[in-house]
Amino acid sequence: MDDMRVVERKVDTNEVKIAAKDVQVYYGENHAIKDVSVEIEDKTVTAFIGPSGCGKSTFLRCINRMNDTIDICRVMGDIRIDGEDIYDPQVDPVQLRAKVGIVFQKPNPFPKSIYDNVAYGPKIHGLAKNKGDLDEIVENALRRGAIWDEVKDRLHAPGTGLSGGQQQRLCIARAVATEPEVLLMDEPCSALDPIATAQVEELIDELRKSYSVVIVTHSMQQAARVSQKTAFFHLGNLVEYGETSNIFTNPVDPRTESYITGRIG
Amino acid sequence: MAETSMTPAAAPKKKSSLSALDARTRKRNAAETRFRMYGMSAIAVGLLFLVFLFASILRSGLPAFTHTVMQIEFILTQEQFDTAESKMLKTGEYQKVFVKALTEQLDASGLDVGFDNKAIKRIVGKPGGTIRSFFLENPDRIGTPVSFELAASSRVDGYFNGRVTRDTLVDSRFLMATDLDLVDALKEAGIVKGAFNWNFITGTDSGVDNPGGAGLGASVIGSFFMMLVVLFLSLPIGVAASIYLEEFAPKNRWTDLIEVNISNLAAVPSIVFGILGLAVFIQFAGLPQSAPLVGGLVLTLMTLPTIIISTRASLAAVPPSIRDAALGVGASKMQSVFHHVLPLAMPGILTGTIIGLAQALGETAPLLLIGMVGYVAREYPEGFMAGFTEANSAMPAQIYTWASRADPGFYEKAWGGIIILLLFLITMNAIAVILRRRFERRW
Repeated sequence: MDDMRVVERKVDTNEVKIAAKDVQVYYGENHAIKDVSVEIEDKTVTAFIGPSGCGKSTFLRCINRMNDTIDICRVMGDIRIDGEDIYDPQVDPVQLRAKVGIVFQKPNPFPKSIYDNVAYGPKIHGLAKNKGDLDEIVENALRRGAIWDEVKDRLHAPGTGLSGGQQQRLCIARAVATEPEVLLMDEPCSALDPIATAQVEELIDELRKSYSVVIVTHSMQQAARVSQKTAFFHLGNLVEYGETSNIFTNPVDPRTESYITGRIG
Repeated sequence: MAETSMTPAAAPKKKSSLSALDARTRKRNAAETRFRMYGMSAIAVGLLFLVFLFASILRSGLPAFTHTVMQIEFILTQEQFDTAESKMLKTGEYQKVFVKALTEQLDASGLDVGFDNKAIKRIVGKPGGTIRSFFLENPDRIGTPVSFELAASSRVDGYFNGRVTRDTLVDSRFLMATDLDLVDALKEAGIVKGAFNWNFITGTDSGVDNPGGAGLGASVIGSFFMMLVVLFLSLPIGVAASIYLEEFAPKNRWTDLIEVNISNLAAVPSIVFGILGLAVFIQFAGLPQSAPLVGGLVLTLMTLPTIIISTRASLAAVPPSIRDAALGVGASKMQSVFHHVLPLAMPGILTGTIIGLAQALGETAPLLLIGMVGYVAREYPEGFMAGFTEANSAMPAQIYTWASRADPGFYEKAWGGIIILLLFLITMNAIAVILRRRFERRW
């Protein structure tokens, strides 16, 4: 909301969490991602911005192999998390997704109780030894999702009965409940009103302390508000990647400049 | 939007009034009204047919549930019993006792109608046998008053139902005009009366000349065992096939081919499945003829496409965001299907299955080809396992057999059988509706 915050914020440099090199993605004949190489840091919020259809969501979904569920999608190149190639045939995408949580554009809680929504991940990964453990995990996750106070009295009410913003925070709580190391967010606020958006953004800033957060957004203000690093995608290319303050105040590429000043996009 | 008169840039235009309808609006409203009338008349015609159908089924079928009985009470002394048992023609002696009791009761009522043994035979058959077997089984009842209820012949039944009238009656060895005077008198004396025909529900098929003794019970059991086979084969096979095709199978030429063929199978005439069952299950695999097991297998083949199509439709109706959500927290493909997609698709799957079963329950043609015709259902199976392998019929095949018999008494039974069949179908559909309501969840 206050764009001046961008320049004031101190940017730490952290170790690299995700390293992508020469990533190509094809949807059938369509070359959706071209030669993208990027290094995403730990304990940092990285924003992907760019016009619709530029491939930022596609690239995000490559990081936890959600694209595997699309038959015609082929991914080439090299994506490493902590130095391990995630497209190695020995890597089980299920294990990867436990390590790399994702929050989608539209809040999609399971049609179950709030408790079961959060408890599902820990349950299938065997993170809780008994009911007491599980209760604790659920409470912690809901607290980190900044929704505990609103739902603590109705943990067994259906998750679908919450408001849109609450549902999205429930989805974030669900994602952090499995103790991921990376949190991917695909336009997490596009279905939310400004107040809910502010709550989620605050939450993202909070989550940065423990995770590497990658967020795709259409809103440049949002990218400026929450991220330390920004990557600008255009027509499948990674045009520019750098510190958020630099991208917004002093872009190198003319396309980036046109986009952030509103001339293309 | 640009042409509204409010736009200042538009060319000067006559102001329109909201209170006067222009020609275009009038035409559009008229078309809308007409369309609504078409719809309502279509529904009215449909309802009319339905009412007509139900009325005619009830009118023709309800008499099958009642029959005319002759109720008579008398005492058989030990002396009479011993005399009868020492005779060569034993049942004839019992018949005499019966006729004597009947005469006494008619005299007591002050009605004077003459009758002979033959008339009795035409009205209630040969009661002597029934009486003798009762006393042989219950010798302690000798010397005490015993009330017998004997079913009247189908012609007498028809006389009380209005199927046989004095005008249309032609004297024959089945019924004479004079017999009608006798039954009228017996009715006045309260000896002949109508009663609920339990035998129609619990009995088995009878001979072609005895519609009064025909019952649907054995065929209901036959249908039941067939439905067990259909349920326990088609539900797991159908659901497994649809889950694989919808959630796991790659989309390529082979799965396309399979998909097209499943849709085609749903449209194959049922008699084709019947002849397939005859060739494969009976002639090739050597399974017993007329067995509900074979009928169940044939109907399973027929029901599978229905179940697969409806299951796939309900799986496809589960929003993909639920699958993404499950995969996103690290569930495997199978976990996402079994923990999230399948429970949401359950109401649709159950509804499809029950509708498939209801379809199978009413299927006749394939059963006729594998020998499950009505006259086979002469006795109940002995035990549970025998229910699958012993020759039996099924409700619709039994109804078909009755409808094709000459005696008009069977015509009535066929309609009655349809009422019972419809009751089963309505029950199944009601269960489908209840299950859908029960398990339906919103997201």
